[in-house]
Amino acid sequence: MSAQPVSLTRLNNGITLITVDHQAADLIAARCFFRAGGRWEKPHQSGISHLLAAVMTKGTHSLTAAEIANQIESMGASLGTDAAADYFTLGLKTVTADFPVILNLAAEILRSPTFPPAEVELEQQLTLQNIRAQSERPFSVAFQQLRQAMYGDHPYGFSILGTPATLDRLTAADLKDYHQTYFRPDNLVISLSGRIERDRAIAQVAAAFGDWPIPDRPLPIAPQLPALPPPSSHRLHQATQQAIVMVGYPAPAVHNLPDYIALKVINTYLGSGLSSRLFVELREKRGLAYDVSAFYPTRFSASQFVAYIGTAPENAQVGFDGLVAEVERLCQVPLTETELQASKNKLLGQYALGKQTNADLAQLFGWYTIIDLGIEFDHQFQAAVHQVTPDQIQAAAQRYFQTPYITIVGPEPARETLVG
Amino acid sequence: MGQFCIGSIKRELPSRLNYQYYDALTLSIHIKPLQQLSNLCKAPLFPAEAIRLSNGLTLIHQYLPATPVVAVDVWVRAGANAEPQDWHGMAHFLEHMIFKGSEAVRPGEFDWIIETSGGGTNAATSHDYAHFFITTAAEYIPQTLPYFADILLHAAIPDEEFGREMDVVIEEIHGCHDDPDWLGFQALCETIYGQSPYGRSILGTADQVRQRSPHQMRCFHRTHYQPENMTVVMVGGMEREAAIALVSEAFCHFAVRSECPPVMADPKPQLEEITRTELRLPRLEQARLMLAWTGPGVDLMDVGIGLDMLSVILAGGRSSRLVRDLREEQQQVWDIGCEFSLQKTASLITINAWLEAEALPKVEAVLQDHLTRLQREPIAPTELSRVQRLLCNDYAFSTETPAQLAGLYGYYNTIAQAELAVTYPTRVQQMTPEILQQIAQDYLKPDCYAVTVMRSL
Repeated sequence: MSAQPVSLTRLNNGITLITVDHQAADLIAARCFFRAGGRWEKPHQSGISHLLAAVMTKGTHSLTAAEIANQIESMGASLGTDAAADYFTLGLKTVTADFPVILNLAAEILRSPTFPPAEVELEQQLTLQNIRAQSERPFSVAFQQLRQAMYGDHPYGFSILGTPATLDRLTAADLKDYHQTYFRPDNLVISLSGRIERDRAIAQVAAAFGDWPIPDRPLPIAPQLPALPPPSSHRLHQATQQAIVMVGYPAPAVHNLPDYIALKVINTYLGSGLSSRLFVELREKRGLAYDVSAFYPTRFSASQFVAYIGTAPENAQVGFDGLVAEVERLCQVPLTETELQASKNKLLGQYALGKQTNADLAQLFGWYTIIDLGIEFDHQFQAAVHQVTPDQIQAAAQRYFQTPYITIVGPEPARETLVG
Repeated sequence: MGQFCIGSIKRELPSRLNYQYYDALTLSIHIKPLQQLSNLCKAPLFPAEAIRLSNGLTLIHQYLPATPVVAVDVWVRAGANAEPQDWHGMAHFLEHMIFKGSEAVRPGEFDWIIETSGGGTNAATSHDYAHFFITTAAEYIPQTLPYFADILLHAAIPDEEFGREMDVVIEEIHGCHDDPDWLGFQALCETIYGQSPYGRSILGTADQVRQRSPHQMRCFHRTHYQPENMTVVMVGGMEREAAIALVSEAFCHFAVRSECPPVMADPKPQLEEITRTELRLPRLEQARLMLAWTGPGVDLMDVGIGLDMLSVILAGGRSSRLVRDLREEQQQVWDIGCEFSLQKTASLITINAWLEAEALPKVEAVLQDHLTRLQREPIAPTELSRVQRLLCNDYAFSTETPAQLAGLYGYYNTIAQAELAVTYPTRVQQMTPEILQQIAQDYLKPDCYAVTVMRSL
C-alpha cells in the first residue's frame, strides 16, 4: 500500500520513467510497457503481439535463447514478456544488487530481438497447442464465445493468442515489422518499484536505454475500431458435468470516468467477494453454484460487463434467470445508502490490498500511464469512488444493462426451454 | 509465456471461492522443506515470535511497522487426513460451513463485516490442515477479529444451511470433474499413495458428501477445533501487546470437546515397480504424462530440500534439463513441469508433461534417462549455484506481504515449528552435489514410480 513517493521523469529520448521508492525489501520489480498489444492488431494478424512476446526472449543480436535463459536464471531473477488487450509488457524482478545487469539484458531483448525462424516456428506450434488446450475448459469456451458475439471484428473479440488461421500466416518478417513499428523509446513507459531512489533509477535506465534513438517515422496512430454487433444468444453442447451460463453487456471504457466508476461499483456490489449480491443470492441462499461472479475489466476502448454461473445442467435456466434478474434489477432499484457505502469500502479496500508488493506497484502506475490515464489516476479513481451517488449508479445501470449477449456451454438440456 | 519464474504448487484447494478468470485468487505460500531442529542455532533469527497462550493456543506474531495492513491466518490440524474412516469430504465441507456462522453470527454476516470494511477473507483445505485468513487495515482488526474467532470456535452448522451448502460443494466437485488436469492428478495420487489418506480427494466424491450429516460435522468440529490443534498467526501493523490482548480475548472460549471415531491408519505408500493408470477422456486436446514419487515427511527435512532442488534442476525455468531438452530442443512436449510438495508424513514429487499421444512412450523413456543421469552423475557446480540462487531469491520474492508471511509461518507451525520457515535459504546454500545425488538415488528411481497417462477417447 503505497505511502511511498512516486515520481515521473521524461528521458531525452522520450522514455517515460516512473519510480516508486520503496525501501522495505531488498528487491526491485520493473515493468516496461509499450503502446501495443491486442488493441493495435489488425484482424488478419490477430495473435501477433502474443507471438512476439513468446519469441522475444529467444534471441538477440548477441545472445541465443539458451544464453538469455541462462543469464536470467543463474542470477535467480525472473523475467517475462506478455501481451494484453491494451499493452505489451516485459516484467522483471531481481534482488537490488542484480538489477543493473538484468535491466541491461531487458534493454537488449527489447531493442534488438532477432526472431530466429526456428524459434518463431516453435512458439507458433506451442501457441497453437495453447489455443487447442483452451477448448478443454468450459469456462474458456463460454468466454471465447461471448467475446466473439459481443465484439465481432473488434480486436477485443479475439483471444490474445490469436486464431489457428491468423497464427499460421504470421512470419518472422511480420514480427520484425511489428517490432519496428511499436518498439521505440517514445512509445515506452518504464515503471520501477523497490529499493531504488529516483536519481539512481534515472542513471540506470539511461545507461541501458539512453542511446536508443527515436526513429524518423511518426508514432503509429491507433486503429479505428469497428462498431459492436447487436446482442445475440449462443449455445454450445458439450458433455460436461456443469453448464456455464454467461451474460454480457457492453460497458464503458475507462476514459468515460463517471460511467466507469459507476460500473466498477456495480461490479463490486454484484460480483466481488463472498458478500456480493450474486454470491449471496444464487450461491448462499439457493445453493445453485460454487462459482458465480461478475467481472468488468478496465479497458482503453469499449469494455464489457460479464456475469456468469457454473451450475448443474438442469439449473441452467434458473441460473440464467437469476443472473439477468440481479443485473437488471439495478435499473429499477437504486442501491441503498448502506449498500453503496459497503460497496465503496469494499472496492477501495481491495484496491489498497492490490498495491502491496513491488510488482503490484510497478504494474499499476505503468499501466495507468500506458493507457493515458497517468499516475494521478491512482488518486482520481479513489476520489471518484468516494463521490458516486445512488442516482448515478442507477442511471449507469439503465444506460448499459439493456439487452444481454448470452452464451451457454454444457450438456444438451432435457427440455428445450432455455432462453429464446 | 516467456516466464522464467519458479512457482511451488501446493496440493491445496482455495476453497470458498476461486475466481477463474478475473482475479486469480492464489495463496502464495512458500512451501519449502524444513530443517533439523538441531541446526537451528546456526539459522537466521526468526523475525516473528511464537507465544503459547494460557489455554494452549499458539499465537505467532510479527510486527511490521511500515505496513497499515494486518493479516490473520488461522491454521487447524484438521485436514482430510484427520477424517475418520467413512467420513470423507468432511474437513473441506466443514471449512465451507464455518462461514455459515455461529449462535451469535448469522450466515454471511462475517463475510459482510470483513469485506465492507475493505478487507478480504478466504479459506483452504488440504490433507494436513484447514486454514482461514483475513487481510484488512489494522484499524479494523479489533472489531472484526471477535467475529472471526466466534465462527471458527463456535460454528453452529445449522441443518438447513448444511443442506444448501452440500449443493454448493457438489457443484464444486462437478466443476473439478470438468478439469482434466484435476482428474489426472487425482488418479496419480490414488496410484502412488495406495491406501494412505494422501491418496484421497480432499473434496470427497459427490456420493460421500451426500452421506455427511450436520451432527457428524459438529462432532468433527468440536474434536479438532481446539486450542492445541490451532495456530493463530498475526502479521502486519499491529504491535505485540495489542496482538496478544486481541487474540487472547477473541480466542478464549472453545467449544465443549467431542470425540470423533478413530482416524484410519496411514500406511506408508509402497510402490515396488512402475505402476500405471490410464484415463481416456472426451474433449481432451493434448495427452498428459504424469509421473510421481513419494518423499519422506517433515522428519527428514534435508531430503525434502534436496527433492525441491532436484525439481528445479529438472524443470524449473527454461535452462532446466527437461524444459531445455524436451520442449526447446527435441520439441516432444508442449510443456513440462516438476513440482515438489512438502507434506507432513509423505511428500510428493511429480513430473507433468503435456504432449501428443504418439510421443508418450518416447518421452517417458527420455524422462527415465534423465533420472538415471541424476543418479549417476553429480550436479555440476554451475547448476547447483543456479538452483541455489533461484530458490533463495524466490523465497525472498514470496515473503513481501503480511499475508504471505502469515501463511508461511502458519503452514510450518501446523506440520512442524514456525521457526523452521526462515531457515530455508541457509539450508539450500548448504546442499552439496553428493547429497543431491544420494537423494536422487534413494527417492527418484527410474524403475519405480506411479504414472498416469491421459488420452482422448
